[in-house]
Amino acid sequence: MTDNLHFAVEAAWKVLLVGLVLGAGLPAVFAVGVRSLAWGTGGAAEVAVDSRPQPIGRVLAGVCFLVVLAGIALGLTIILAAGQGKVVSFEHVYPTIVDKPK
Amino acid sequence: MTEATLILVLVIGTALAFDFTNGFHDTGNAMATSIATGALRPKVAVALSAVLNLVGAFLSVEVALTVTNAVVKVQDKSGAPIPQLTDNHGYALLLIILAGLVGGVLWNLLTWLIGLPSSSSHALFGGIIGATIAGLGTSGVNWNGDGSKLDGVVGKVILPALVSPVIAGVVAAAGTWLIFRITARVAQRFTENGFRWGQIGSASLVSLAHGTNDAQKTMGVITLALIASGHWSDTGAVPFWVKLVCALAIALGTYLGGWRIIRTLGKGLVEISSPQGMAAESSSAAVILASSHLGFALSTTHVATGSILGSGVGRPGGQVRWGIAGRMVLAWLITLPAAGLVGALMWWLGDLFGGYAGPVVVFLALIALASYMYVRSQREPVHPGNVNDEWSGTPGSSVRSPVEKEAVA
Repeated sequence: MTDNLHFAVEAAWKVLLVGLVLGAGLPAVFAVGVRSLAWGTGGAAEVAVDSRPQPIGRVLAGVCFLVVLAGIALGLTIILAAGQGKVVSFEHVYPTIVDKPK
Repeated sequence: MTEATLILVLVIGTALAFDFTNGFHDTGNAMATSIATGALRPKVAVALSAVLNLVGAFLSVEVALTVTNAVVKVQDKSGAPIPQLTDNHGYALLLIILAGLVGGVLWNLLTWLIGLPSSSSHALFGGIIGATIAGLGTSGVNWNGDGSKLDGVVGKVILPALVSPVIAGVVAAAGTWLIFRITARVAQRFTENGFRWGQIGSASLVSLAHGTNDAQKTMGVITLALIASGHWSDTGAVPFWVKLVCALAIALGTYLGGWRIIRTLGKGLVEISSPQGMAAESSSAAVILASSHLGFALSTTHVATGSILGSGVGRPGGQVRWGIAGRMVLAWLITLPAAGLVGALMWWLGDLFGGYAGPVVVFLALIALASYMYVRSQREPVHPGNVNDEWSGTPGSSVRSPVEKEAVA
């Protein structure tokens, strides 16, 4: 029982950490993208009327959406790797696919 | 047909029925928010989810043969059934599995009838634990594992169930809060459009992850039954036809759509908007993937519900119907023991008659109770046409609790 509690706490805070970075961080980046896109579009997209379109906003939005897409790709890789009995390792910081440790 | 063949056929049929209920019970986990916000039309949402579940079920070549090891001791480490249970072509083991599956299916149907999302894996594990206690005594249950990793009923079922909804809720609340802060000065029409896409993407990820996780459980159970009865001997692989029928059963169930549960999740818990939907589904996807990556077993249902609640808490001025949330938590708490009780009763019923009659009586009891619940559901049907109607209480509950009335008002 106490062993299990120990393992559960250990796993739980990691899940929470990853969850916050990817599960809340990526939506926030997406929101920045939407914000930038609105800034880039101008006019009726903004709450403040008569705001002018800012082209740089569109570029910024594109960058944000790319970051989000990369996050989705990472999620897909984890699903696919798990299906093949492998795991995604982060020991080199950038993700690599390795055999599942026994 | 021998007794053993008969019970094997019934086990496979019941396992597929369970897989099917698993599908429609969990459609809402991925798609309820997209349906509620109108990001996807109801029929399109369930079709998308069904296809992704089908694909997900096939993606896994990793064998889930030891699925029951987490909670009971009927298999050894390789996945082969323990020798004491394999006499008479595994009749004893097959009766335990059959009774356990019936417990899981009936609990899934009952919670669907009253529109409450409850965990299908808890229902399955509960049924199997109950049937095992009835058949082998409490020593047949793996309560705590051996202390080397998260294992046993406590480590694989109870602790994750307590922790995962909280984690998902915190993540979704943080995500929702950030999104509303960041987009505060953008016109609402513009944000609703943008976030619909984010919502569809994240919901799809949840569906795919669901297919890879949940269909495997049934594949493992059917393969265990085949090994016990001597029809299969490879503990390193699942027969292809098993994989195919399980994938089809879960996809078909998903496509049918558990509209009663979708309605509760999408409309009952929180008045949800696209940004909240995206935050909720992203949280679910991240928590599910991070957990499976770290070997932390959890229920998609608990995570999805926690996320949706969190998205209501995180929105400035957002409202959560805590009365509904309380009923859900209650349903979660009793899922394991309730499915276990049904599993145990079914085992006793089967054991009482024994031989050919035992499994047949159990199966007939399943059909009778399932039909009864289906008929009851038709009194107040929920379907794609009314799934998004204004919330007025869970289906089948004609009297609303004061808490809910207050929350609605």
